[in-house]
Amino acid sequence: MSAPEGLVPPPTLTARAAGLVGCHSCGRVHEKGADICTRCGTALHSRMPNSLQRVWAWLFAGIVVYIPANIYPMLQTSSLGRTTESTIMGGVVELVEYGSIGVALIVFVASVLIPVGKFVAIGYLALVVRPGSRWRKGTGFHGRQHLFEVVEFIGRWSMIDVFVVAILSALVQLDFAATINPGIAAVSFSLSVAFTMLAAQSFDPRLIWDVEEAKAV
Amino acid sequence: MSYQDPAEMKIDPPKRSFWRNLSLIWLVPLFAVVISLGIAWQTFAARGVQIEIVFDNASGVTPGETIIRFRDVRIGTVEDVQFTPDLSQVLVTASIDRAVADTLPEDARFWVVQPEVSARGITGLSTVLSGVYIETSFTPTSGAAARSFTGTAAAPLVREGQEGTRITLRTREANRVSEGAPILFRGIEVGHIEAPRLILSGESVVFDAFIEAPHDRRLTTATRFWDTSGFSVSFGASGLSLNVGNLAALLTGGIAFDTVFSGGEPLNPGYVFDLFPDEASARQSLFRSVGANAVEMSIEFEGSVSGLEVGAPVQYRGLRVGEVRAIGAVLAEDADRPEVRLLTTVALDPQAIGLPAEAGAEPLIRFLEDAVAQGLRARLSTSSLFSAALIIELAELPVDEVAPAELERRENGMAVLPSIASDLPDFTATAEGVLERINALPIEELMNQAVRLMASVEMVVSSEGSRQAPDEALALIRDIRGLVGGEDAQALPGELRAGLADLRGMVEELRLRDAVDRLMDVLDNVETVTANTATASEDFPELVEDLRTLVARASGVEVEELAAAASRVLNSADQLIGSDEMRQLPPALARALDEVQQVLADLREGEAVENVNRTLASARSAADAVAEAMNSLPGLTQRLDRLVDQADGLIASYGSRSDFNSEAMQVMREFRETARAVTQLARTIERNPNSLLLGR
Repeated sequence: MSAPEGLVPPPTLTARAAGLVGCHSCGRVHEKGADICTRCGTALHSRMPNSLQRVWAWLFAGIVVYIPANIYPMLQTSSLGRTTESTIMGGVVELVEYGSIGVALIVFVASVLIPVGKFVAIGYLALVVRPGSRWRKGTGFHGRQHLFEVVEFIGRWSMIDVFVVAILSALVQLDFAATINPGIAAVSFSLSVAFTMLAAQSFDPRLIWDVEEAKAV
Repeated sequence: MSYQDPAEMKIDPPKRSFWRNLSLIWLVPLFAVVISLGIAWQTFAARGVQIEIVFDNASGVTPGETIIRFRDVRIGTVEDVQFTPDLSQVLVTASIDRAVADTLPEDARFWVVQPEVSARGITGLSTVLSGVYIETSFTPTSGAAARSFTGTAAAPLVREGQEGTRITLRTREANRVSEGAPILFRGIEVGHIEAPRLILSGESVVFDAFIEAPHDRRLTTATRFWDTSGFSVSFGASGLSLNVGNLAALLTGGIAFDTVFSGGEPLNPGYVFDLFPDEASARQSLFRSVGANAVEMSIEFEGSVSGLEVGAPVQYRGLRVGEVRAIGAVLAEDADRPEVRLLTTVALDPQAIGLPAEAGAEPLIRFLEDAVAQGLRARLSTSSLFSAALIIELAELPVDEVAPAELERRENGMAVLPSIASDLPDFTATAEGVLERINALPIEELMNQAVRLMASVEMVVSSEGSRQAPDEALALIRDIRGLVGGEDAQALPGELRAGLADLRGMVEELRLRDAVDRLMDVLDNVETVTANTATASEDFPELVEDLRTLVARASGVEVEELAAAASRVLNSADQLIGSDEMRQLPPALARALDEVQQVLADLREGEAVENVNRTLASARSAADAVAEAMNSLPGLTQRLDRLVDQADGLIASYGSRSDFNSEAMQVMREFRETARAVTQLARTIERNPNSLLLGR
């Protein structure tokens, strides 16, 4: 506590309130006003600049490329001269028809549920931390923080579909007998996942708490 | 009160404009939008142009899977397969690459490629695994952009853009040539035939053919096409010859061509070639074609035209200038009493005589008028020594030797060429003369003389007085007996017959000469012996006289004359060859070959083999059963025999002959008879198992 005595401290003392800036990279604490970390040379920001803009931009890009990822075929399977193309949802439906409900569930969760959930979650967080937002009812600060952590953690697992496609494409190249090639959707989908992960990374979780601070003040 | 600087907290930086505030990061979603739109546009552009193809039958065509190929490169995909509204045909909707679709002309051909096994080979094998595809063939025409087409059932023989020449062939019957039959040039396939079709008048069959480049350079007006289908059998002066083409030509028919003389002109469009039945006639046809611009005229003959057939050549100075078109009879009106005259219609080709190609009828008739005035007459003559077939010869005879005549122009525009009696009867007379001379040969007399001589000699020899006759006489007798009873002499008439039957006959002739020489030798011997005998025993003037006359007669048969007569015999053999029986031979062969072809056709249909196999299998099982039965027959016989023996013994031991005994013996005998019959049957079957099957 660097605040002088006699003052009523705010409910939560933040580094910013305390006039301190933490380095993103190495975590070293600097006095406010320092621009460059004295240890690792990273630019210092109390809050990431344009954090919300970045979030929105990446999120938007992710949503945009998620559309072709669902429209276009993910896999091109050629077997004995017959070529079949399957989209993500088409594959899920096919799997259900074949009775592999478990696999279908995994694919559905990894390829549809998680990405869409991420869009919603990141969008919600970005909306909620805006000053004067009307969306902040319902979840507490801790809930938002947890939501963010889950989003950041789970983001990479969406790539499971892309991995499957990549491995199949690499393994099943038996010329005429059977060949599997990735479709356009594979690229779109991996881009979408990458964009949403970047969006999640661009989100500065400190913004969640700034709201509380602002409210307190 | 505080360290904090409230002013700092209240700093409110001037609001920057929205655009200034905008981060560069927004380029990323912009980029993503652009990429996505790009992909969408690409997909839209690659979606292709919808076309519709109507097929009678779209077997194996699957929406979304069947692809459309042009020159074996994929240009589109079938998107939908439906029926036409009246369900009579199948409507295939396909999307074609935009670039290709813009050049699709109206006459683009589409067909479904399926695996096919035919005489020409196996095609479309790749579609066994990949499924059928639709192949197209067209000449790209920019801006044509046709959108609906009619598919064909089978692949066209000639792909669009294939280099070559399309020609038209004409023939009387197309029963041996089928669609797709190969065109061969020196045995190499250089083209195909398309489906034969009747021309409107129904007189002949026309089919288009395609000769691939660069072989089409060989086509000139001097090119002749002939049929090489199946077998061909010819029976002529050079003997029997059988020609068999290659296997494909055997099954589907085939056509070969060659340029038979130099100096042909390049082909004009629409030039029609005649298809000749065989190579020989193709090569003989030194004029373009009888029929293209031939002039028909009539010839009246008085004698029989037996042997003259439709299609027989008309020759002028040995050159074929036309052919016989029809043979009929007319009632001559101008005679005192009705007289039947044989009217032959011939077609003469002006070009073959040397007139301009497109001269037409008038110059030819004028030419013939002049020629008739100079002594040109039509007459029948034999086409060759070995054939009874007749041809018409335009003979130029000395004017003073023939009755004056002129080219008669009938009202119907038909010109009638004057004819003279042919020299055919002379030929017949010659042949008869030969036969008469052969009849006149004193062979039988000679034989009789020799027999008498032998009898005399034997009498002499067996008589007591000649017991001491020199050994020479015995040797003579042996010689003579050997001669007369020997195979040479016995076979003399047979050899003559053989000479008649044998076409060549030269060997027989020589052998014949040998026999006569030996006869001469013997007779020489006889003469010397006779002289000896005459001196030794003058008691037998009669014998000597006989011998003398014999020798004289034998000498009278001059070898050369005999040989000449024999060669005449051979000439009469020609007659035999020309006779009905021999003439039956080639048709019989042809029939047999037709049957073979029929069998091949059945084989093509694939059922014959199974039938034959089935028949063979049942025949074999029947034969096996017979063999089995046959094996058991000897056992049966033996058992019967044994039974009879036992019965015999029993009866013998029973006692002396009684009624019962004799009856029993009778039964036993019948048993034995039966046993023998069974044995016989067994042996017969053993010797010839077929007999049971064939009933003989």
